[in-house]
Amino acid sequence: MSGITLSTRRFRPQGLLPAALIVGAALTYAVVSLATAQSAQLSWAGIAGLLQRMVALGITACGQTLVLLVGSIDLSVANLISVSAVIAAHVMNGRPDAIALGIAAAIAIGVIVGLANGLIVSKLKVSPLIATLGIGLVLQGVLSAAYDDLPGSVPASFRVLAYGHVLGIPLALLLLAAVVALAGFVLSRTVIGFRLYGVGGDARTARLAGIRTDRFVIGAHIAASVTAAVSGLYLASWLGAGTPWVGRDGGYDLDSVAVVVIGGTLLSGGRGGVAGTIAGVFVFATIDAVFNMLQIDPFLGQILRGLIVISSVAAYTFRGKAHVA
Amino acid sequence: MPNRNGTAAIGKAVDGTVLLSMQDVSKFFGSIQVLDTISFDVRAGEVHALCGENGAGKSTLMKILTGAFPVSSGRILLNGQEMRFVHPVEARAAGIGIIHQELSLLPHRTVAENILLGREPSRGGLVDRRRMVTEARDALARLGSAIPPEAPVASLSIAEQQVVEIAKAIATHARLLVFDEPTAPLDTVESAKLFRVIAELRSSGVGIVYISHRMREVFEIADRITVLKDGCGMGTFDAADATPDKVIRLMVGRPVSALFPPRSATTPGEALLTILGGGNAALHDIDLTLYAGQILGVAGLEGSGKTALARALVGDQRFTTGQITFRDGRPAPRSPREAVQRGIAYLSDDRKAEGLGLRQSLRDNASLALRALAAGLALPSIANRNPGRIDALFRDVEMRAADFGVAVGRLSGGNQQKVVFARWLATAPHLWVVAEPTRGIDVGAKATIYALLRRYADAGGAVVMVSSDLTEIIGASDRILVMSGGRILVELPAGSAESEIMAHAVHGPGQVAELVA
Repeated sequence: MSGITLSTRRFRPQGLLPAALIVGAALTYAVVSLATAQSAQLSWAGIAGLLQRMVALGITACGQTLVLLVGSIDLSVANLISVSAVIAAHVMNGRPDAIALGIAAAIAIGVIVGLANGLIVSKLKVSPLIATLGIGLVLQGVLSAAYDDLPGSVPASFRVLAYGHVLGIPLALLLLAAVVALAGFVLSRTVIGFRLYGVGGDARTARLAGIRTDRFVIGAHIAASVTAAVSGLYLASWLGAGTPWVGRDGGYDLDSVAVVVIGGTLLSGGRGGVAGTIAGVFVFATIDAVFNMLQIDPFLGQILRGLIVISSVAAYTFRGKAHVA
Repeated sequence: MPNRNGTAAIGKAVDGTVLLSMQDVSKFFGSIQVLDTISFDVRAGEVHALCGENGAGKSTLMKILTGAFPVSSGRILLNGQEMRFVHPVEARAAGIGIIHQELSLLPHRTVAENILLGREPSRGGLVDRRRMVTEARDALARLGSAIPPEAPVASLSIAEQQVVEIAKAIATHARLLVFDEPTAPLDTVESAKLFRVIAELRSSGVGIVYISHRMREVFEIADRITVLKDGCGMGTFDAADATPDKVIRLMVGRPVSALFPPRSATTPGEALLTILGGGNAALHDIDLTLYAGQILGVAGLEGSGKTALARALVGDQRFTTGQITFRDGRPAPRSPREAVQRGIAYLSDDRKAEGLGLRQSLRDNASLALRALAAGLALPSIANRNPGRIDALFRDVEMRAADFGVAVGRLSGGNQQKVVFARWLATAPHLWVVAEPTRGIDVGAKATIYALLRRYADAGGAVVMVSSDLTEIIGASDRILVMSGGRILVELPAGSAESEIMAHAVHGPGQVAELVA
């Protein structure tokens, strides 16, 4: 009997769709690169390039996963990414000895913004949609007011983050892997993770079980903002400078929510995890790469992304109902 | 002599000691007194039933006990120590658990994760999954349950989920458990299982407070009974010394036979609806004729198809096969909208989710059906322009709310159900399909609802009453159908015995003879 129940645990219905999405996306990528005679895309360098497209969105989406699991949402991440990139570039200003300070400043901003989001959501009981949208607008406003042009550049040694390799693996990919592993570990192994699912599943139940729910909401928001700040650092390293619109133009706010729900995490919280999220990120990265290879208008890719988001959420809902019935 | 006393002391060492004692508890909300010097105690190893109509003060008393409300005056002693809870978490920590009607489990987490939420066994912040499963299994085993701890809660039946909820409470070493109408969502077989679990708890020395409107249950499992009425204690009795009639008289001031209006002596009217071989995914071979002037009771266990039949009649999950003919020659309604247009009223068994907009006012809720029928371009306030018409309906259903502008969610279950009746009354229906019409409703409001149903039938309407409450099936129906597996098993005459209905519902037609015999 325990064998049966173990297997229901491992193969929860929402576990299958992310796996199918990854396989489908990978196959499409392979077929298109062969069909368009761009087999270089299938080399290690090509695949590493594909995977590197996942880094900025993937890191942000890990934080977004935590926020959604706890029953909140963070729409300020895109503008926070810009702020983080700009602050880092501003502080570093080309000086290698200021790298640590720049990183610290970006992370500190992340902590402050996350704390603000979390406090507004948990203590003032403002709807998280509105709270984080508002904070996002504030951040973009501050950026626009403070910086007219590029506010400095990062030193060449900092660009190792985006362009360096360790044992042939891009450093940035290792960073993403570390963030995913950390988030996955916390969610599936630690007391904190178990309670986080409790808070997101039913805040009242969690509170009656003696869990201080506000702390989890605030903690998840801080985690999300810090991951956004890390993404900002990565993008500053990638671009060599911090531009005040890098986050907004990347669409990281809605994209990060989209990939999380593609991965099977409930928008209302309490179910899901980072494995699914990474599947969603992979699908988005593959769509970009495939449309690039086919040289099709990227806006069509946008349409495809939208359809994938809707159909996967519909599939989860449908399965959920069938399961209950 | 000393020897006998000694034995008794050992045998009853735990049982019989007073676990909880609430002394002269009063509660005021502002200047309104809702509890008047109530004294209530629970012994270890007993089931103490708390009876009273909605508004009698049962929930307030329990909310005080479980720390949701502070007392205004009076004392609460737990194991002889005075307690002043300011938050439910403190009451839990002190060993007081409550099983609410609405379960509070996380559907996407496993049974073990739910049972040990907030108290996960861990080492250095890492959850010890194996110990978690073991502890959950132990808690379930104490209840005589073999639900696998690794199963997701969403895959369990409501009855199993309730067991998980109880296991969650006893895993926190609760010494005192409050059950708030636990059998409301359960069918008879599941209820019987729950009673075995409660008996198990009792014999292990847990003190149990059992709140229910169902007298049969109360007398089946309670050792003592306390009756509340209008915030005052009406007395505490040994169950052996009381009768259901006595308890109900104390609760409402009238005997149980007065609950149901007399059946009409007249013969049934013309056939209003004939179904031949009706079926869909949940229903098979339904042959049925509804007559004007009759109340048809439909009994069956959960999943027997009785609710599916109600939904099919109102076009929600419609018949896909069979011949359905209404008096006017038309077929079955294909959608709820068509049903409303054709004078078919539907009271869902899930009042809160499907019956009412809880945040909207009484008037808004009551005018919903009228608005649905209004022309597309009519102003939405059209019904409100004539509040007199809606208010007349409220009077018709004996609505007792002081203000018809307040949100429905703030009313008692009985008054909420009357709002639903008022809504349909506005459309002058000739067919009433009512599912669990008195679920979670106090005795006084029940009597009103039975009287309303009888009145609609006497006025020439047909009523189909789907219910898990056999007392009301027997008391209110003119004919009784018993369903199982989506089929009608048998039709029984009015006033059939409960045992006969149950025998059909549980075992199907073949084996009934021997069971009843």
